[in-house]
Amino acid sequence: MLKINNISKYFDQVKAVNNVSINVENSSMIGIIGRSGAGKSTLLRTINRLTDATSGEILFQNQNILDFKKKDKLEWQKNCAMIFQQFNLVPRLDVLTNVMLGKLNEMSTVRASLKLFTSEERHAALNLLNKFGMMQTALQRAETLSGGQQQRVAICRAMMQDPKLILADEPIASLDPLNARLVMESLRKIHDEQNITVICNLHTLDTAKQYCDRIIGMQNGEIVFDDLPSKLTNQKAREIYGAEADEAFEGTMTSVSLESADIKKTA
Amino acid sequence: MYSDNILGFETIEKNLKAMAFKRLIYSFISILAILFLLSSGLTIAEENNAGSFQRGLSKFFDYPVDLFKEAFESGWRWYAYVFKYLPDLISTINMAFFSTLFGAIFALLLSLFASKNLIKNQYIVTLSRRTMDILRSFPELVIAMIFLYLMGKSELPAVIAIVIHTAGALGKLFSEAIENADNKPIEGLQSCGASWWQRVRFAVIPQVVPLFISYTLLRLEINVRASTILGFVGAGGIGEALSAVIQFRYGDEIIAIMFLLVITIISLDYFSRFLRGRLIGDNK
Amino acid sequence: MEQVLNQNVIDAVDLKHKKHIRILIITGFVFLVYLIGSILHFDLPNLAKKWNKDRASMFMLDIYAHKDHIKMNWKDPQKIDLRFEGGHRHVYKDDPTWLIRNKNNQSTIVNFDNGGQFVFFPNRVEMRNFPNINEPFIFKLNKNGKPYVDGYVGKESMLPSWMRATENKVEVRPSLYERLQVYGSKVEVHRYELGWKYFWFDFDSPLVGKGFFDAISLMFNEDRVDPKISNFNLVVNEFLENEIWHHNTVLFAMVETLLMAILGTLIASMVGLPLAFLAAYNVTPLSSIRFFLRRLFDMLRGIDMLIWSLIFLRAFGPGLFTGIFAIAFTDTGTLGKLMSEAIENTDKKDKEGIQSTGANKVLQHRFGIIPQILPIFISQSLYYLESNTRAAVIIGAMGAGGIGLHFLGALMTGNDFENVAYMAILVLVAVMCIDTMSAKLRRLLIGIEDKK
Ligand SMILES: Nc1ncnc2c1ncn2[C@@H]1O[C@H](COP(=O)(O)OP(=O)(O)O)[C@@H](O)[C@H]1O
Ligand SMILES: [Mg+2]
Repeated sequence: MLKINNISKYFDQVKAVNNVSINVENSSMIGIIGRSGAGKSTLLRTINRLTDATSGEILFQNQNILDFKKKDKLEWQKNCAMIFQQFNLVPRLDVLTNVMLGKLNEMSTVRASLKLFTSEERHAALNLLNKFGMMQTALQRAETLSGGQQQRVAICRAMMQDPKLILADEPIASLDPLNARLVMESLRKIHDEQNITVICNLHTLDTAKQYCDRIIGMQNGEIVFDDLPSKLTNQKAREIYGAEADEAFEGTMTSVSLESADIKKTA
Repeated sequence: MYSDNILGFETIEKNLKAMAFKRLIYSFISILAILFLLSSGLTIAEENNAGSFQRGLSKFFDYPVDLFKEAFESGWRWYAYVFKYLPDLISTINMAFFSTLFGAIFALLLSLFASKNLIKNQYIVTLSRRTMDILRSFPELVIAMIFLYLMGKSELPAVIAIVIHTAGALGKLFSEAIENADNKPIEGLQSCGASWWQRVRFAVIPQVVPLFISYTLLRLEINVRASTILGFVGAGGIGEALSAVIQFRYGDEIIAIMFLLVITIISLDYFSRFLRGRLIGDNK
Repeated sequence: MEQVLNQNVIDAVDLKHKKHIRILIITGFVFLVYLIGSILHFDLPNLAKKWNKDRASMFMLDIYAHKDHIKMNWKDPQKIDLRFEGGHRHVYKDDPTWLIRNKNNQSTIVNFDNGGQFVFFPNRVEMRNFPNINEPFIFKLNKNGKPYVDGYVGKESMLPSWMRATENKVEVRPSLYERLQVYGSKVEVHRYELGWKYFWFDFDSPLVGKGFFDAISLMFNEDRVDPKISNFNLVVNEFLENEIWHHNTVLFAMVETLLMAILGTLIASMVGLPLAFLAAYNVTPLSSIRFFLRRLFDMLRGIDMLIWSLIFLRAFGPGLFTGIFAIAFTDTGTLGKLMSEAIENTDKKDKEGIQSTGANKVLQHRFGIIPQILPIFISQSLYYLESNTRAAVIIGAMGAGGIGLHFLGALMTGNDFENVAYMAILVLVAVMCIDTMSAKLRRLLIGIEDKK
């Protein structure tokens, strides 16, 4: 389904992503771990086409999405939703509008510019908000919400896009444990219910082990581990995280894992 | 160790003293330069002025006093003059409003192309910035007089001149505001497959609109003054009325018009301050 | 976390949408009505009619080109009169290369760069060889001394569009760059060329024809052109005393305008800052003083530069003082108001810190407030300097003098458009220079403050 072949991205001398290949055959939830600066964000951004890769190809349903130009590129971005660490909502617009912006790609420019959303669009957005427990905030401005709420709105916006692939760049890094759990559970639920592949950059090892079916470890822009979570030994993990190991292992003690240790089994 | 420390303090103190001395010298030089500029400038002014400074100073109150005397003598009729010139005043305010509106629209278009975070092509950015620099460097009067000469007396030349200047002046402020806007929402929309214009419309404009409105209100106030002055040189409105009554030396009417102008400017000042306060407060 | 879809929220959302559409329609409608009203009010449909096409094209042409006048009197066809721009004193002493006199048949040929010719004969003028004009036209005088086009008498409507024959005048304009006017008394040809001729040196200057770089290198050349005066002085004098471009007057007027702006702003900031302190509540406890100063600022600003200029124009007459004081009065109000607000917005902690050291009031303000407001003060003053440069041009045009008045004068004469353009460009350059310099200065001064 998704096949990443020898992708590299250089910033001048810095090899942010270096000759990375990933093959995703069936829909799965993938966690990417690594210390900061390992190139995790850059990898996701090249997949979404926010940044252009230096070399390599990314095949999705046998099409090289790096060759897409203009309209095709925008349509790819519509199919490949992205969730950010800082939520990247529009702070001064209300929550509902923020969610409906996920449909921008399918709207005509004039209609979008005048904010003439159809009642289907409005109700679809409301349904999504309801699903993630955010309905009551629909008419509030996004900037008035807490971080966890904003991230859930961002997930609603992503779902509004009707994506075939979801990328999440450290979605819980700036959230408190409870909200972190809610967000991770939401992503897992999306994957389980709709069979959408989710690729998620995570900083804490434990979260990755809890929620993902497959873990990819990155170090200096290269993949150093790619297997089932159970295959990741503590020693390997320490190697991947290097000096940040203690911080990454600390996640074990947060509530993310406490109550949801068995989420994968129940799902 | 101990002696090392002493030495360290000494050098630090020496450096501090040297810095203070340097600052003192700079301040001294700038004060001297300003004094020199003032004295030589005023000397040149005195030499080239038609009347001398002292005589002028003593006559400073003569003209206003004469005017007020006439206004006082005309009694109740004076109030009628105030109403007589109200339509001219409205015409001037409308002139300013119209040109501010369209100046702001052009400024918005220009500023999008002059913002580095929206346009990746450096040449387009530089070109738009230079264009704005040129647009706002011409005094309105220069452009207005040329157009007045080419198309005869009307309000249009003044409107054109003010629109041109406003587009340049606001464009610069607008593009600065856009460049200071948060990039995260822009990226967020980009990742959804929003086009360039859609990103501008939904990620940039909502962020900058309070600032834009407040700048535009400030401009409106400036433009009311400008359109009065342009009226004075032939572009209609209350400026032209003022110029006419000054030629005929109708003291009472001069005072009536000046009264209207001052009231307008002061109330506009307060009104726009109030609105801007609300907008900025809203922003927080 | 999933809930039943709440009907209240749906209703609220739908209501908001309806409201949005209503607002959209109303604003659209209002905007449209205002737009149409304004178009009618400003008489845009009649713009084309009002637009003086001849003037505009003359204006544009004059900006980038210059012309020579060649005149022949029917009474004395041998005496050809050659002047630059038709000026009184700009008479050519020697024939230029494009003018050829033929002694044999008493004709004079005016050549144009495109190959066309106007040929003066004692009894007629011929038009030859112009590109795309195949017919040779001949212009003559009839018995009554009125001009006519040979072969077109009574058929004036058949003439090409670029030619116009009336009872007293035949006007020929094959292109913008050539013009022939035939009157009963004389024939006049205007021959246009691109560029600003004689910009550096005047018609009768010994340095005529030298360009900018020639002149600069000549300045430092030891061989004197005129033995009585050094080359440096000669170049400067000849440049300034150019009678066509009036560099000395124009440049001095520009300096006057700049002086108005600089001195006006300087006085405004020097008076405005102390007054601003007195009008700030955290410096002046007396509310009566504050109230008085606030109203003073409002008055100074509200009366506006226009009215101040009119009042000062009466008191001082035309001249620099009018401009200086009009600017100084208005901006004392503006800067005073701005700065008093800035002072009130300063962080109290700084001042309290100084206070805690036992410093007196003056020192408290010096170290507690001034460092905080100095950057604002400098950048605001510099900003007003830039806008006052433009204002000084405008006040100047209303009678205070300086470049504004000269500009207006040149525009009103109706034929010195190159001077109009020269002054407009000069003003543009001056304002842009002040703008750039003040931006640099601002960065420099505020940078120093920041480092400290
Ligand atoms: N826009 C950029 N310009 C230059 N270097 C960048 C840019 N973005 C990322 N980098 C560099 O690329 C490397 C990988 O960064 P990133 O992908 O953000 O790492 P991670 O997300 O794993 O923390 C880092 O060394 C970073 O400095
Ligand atoms: Mg990252």
